Amino acid sequence: MKILQNSGVPIYQQIAEQLKTDILAGKYTEGDYLPSIRGLAQELKISVITTMKAYELLQSEGLISASPGKGYYVNSQDSEMLIEQHMRRVEEALSEAIKSAKIAGLSNDELIETLKTLLSLE
Amino acid sequence: MMNNMENVIYGRNIEKKFKKFKLHIDELKVPKGFATALIGENGAGKSTLLNILTGVRVDYKGDIKYFDEQQALEQEGILDRIGYTGPNNFFLPHWTVSQVREICSILFDSFSKEKFDAFSKRLNIPEGSQGVRALSDGNRMKLTLATAFCRETDLLIMDEPASPLDPLMRDMLCQLIREYLSEGNGEKSVFFSTHNISDMENVTDYAIIMDDGSIVEQGFVEELKEKYILVKGEPEDSERASKYLIGMSKGKYGFEGMCLAKDMDKLAGIRVSFETPTLSQISIAVMKQHTGLFQG
Repeated sequence: MKILQNSGVPIYQQIAEQLKTDILAGKYTEGDYLPSIRGLAQELKISVITTMKAYELLQSEGLISASPGKGYYVNSQDSEMLIEQHMRRVEEALSEAIKSAKIAGLSNDELIETLKTLLSLE
Repeated sequence: MMNNMENVIYGRNIEKKFKKFKLHIDELKVPKGFATALIGENGAGKSTLLNILTGVRVDYKGDIKYFDEQQALEQEGILDRIGYTGPNNFFLPHWTVSQVREICSILFDSFSKEKFDAFSKRLNIPEGSQGVRALSDGNRMKLTLATAFCRETDLLIMDEPASPLDPLMRDMLCQLIREYLSEGNGEKSVFFSTHNISDMENVTDYAIIMDDGSIVEQGFVEELKEKYILVKGEPEDSERASKYLIGMSKGKYGFEGMCLAKDMDKLAGIRVSFETPTLSQISIAVMKQHTGLFQG
């Protein structure tokens, strides 16, 4: 896991995102325990409260659960829900792109062309 | 996350009067399992408070309880569970490092010579036949830290541990604190005062800001970062914005200040940009607000 200190994205969000990606990718499966809050803080050289906030974010999204005294473990993942979440993020990003395109005076066709060009570069 | 926290120290109505200064704290909470920073100007009462908490000073009024058992400092075994490092030299000037090691192992039951040696090595404490008096301030602090970290404790109270240390050693200090907390897995806590807020920010979970003998702000760092927002704007708007900003600074090319998140809507219509503040920025704004210095 890599944490950027000055990226503008809060550190707890970076941690939550990366753990989410790991869970989605199957690195952690149902019932697996995540690294301990304080262990992870030590590893990443950040404060305990930051990792704790990341875990609580994941908990509130239903991805993990807390087991008192033992830490956080991964819930059974409803893959539909995860795909749904990613879908929502794609829509958000595209809406953002549409907004910028309007400001720049791009026509719909030009925008679609731009997307196609970018896709072909992937 | 913050509501059902247990405290490692819980104090009420702590009071100590000096001729020109009064320490008065209605309620003190140091959360268990975390690193708490005590922040404030010189003379705000940080050391007085830490001295009271560690029994260095006993002439005060108030009620202070420690650990889950809610015990007083005098009760048996409590002091054994607390490690303390102060800004002053605890050791006689002619003691050598190895004599300090011997003497501490007699003084403290849980003092581990092996651990002391390991910490000495990591902290790069010079060995030799010279007395403690020949050590630099930084090396003397490192020696004090090693004697505290190598004991079996549940709470470390440190008065300005970072001040005399070089950047490399401050980083090491943060690492040692994190290891201590991690090893304790929620059972061990650290409480330290510091002026080097930015160096210690990445190890600070909870912050208590003091001014003129009282606590003026406190909270988990992540919460404080949501409570305050750093606002920047153009010079022509500085008058209008100033009502809602604390710790404001104005210049020819713009202004900057801290706004409470709940007051953000009052800035509507003013062209400003927002940033999440650092703990250091929050502390400075809160301290400026209370000291009344630098206003306008």
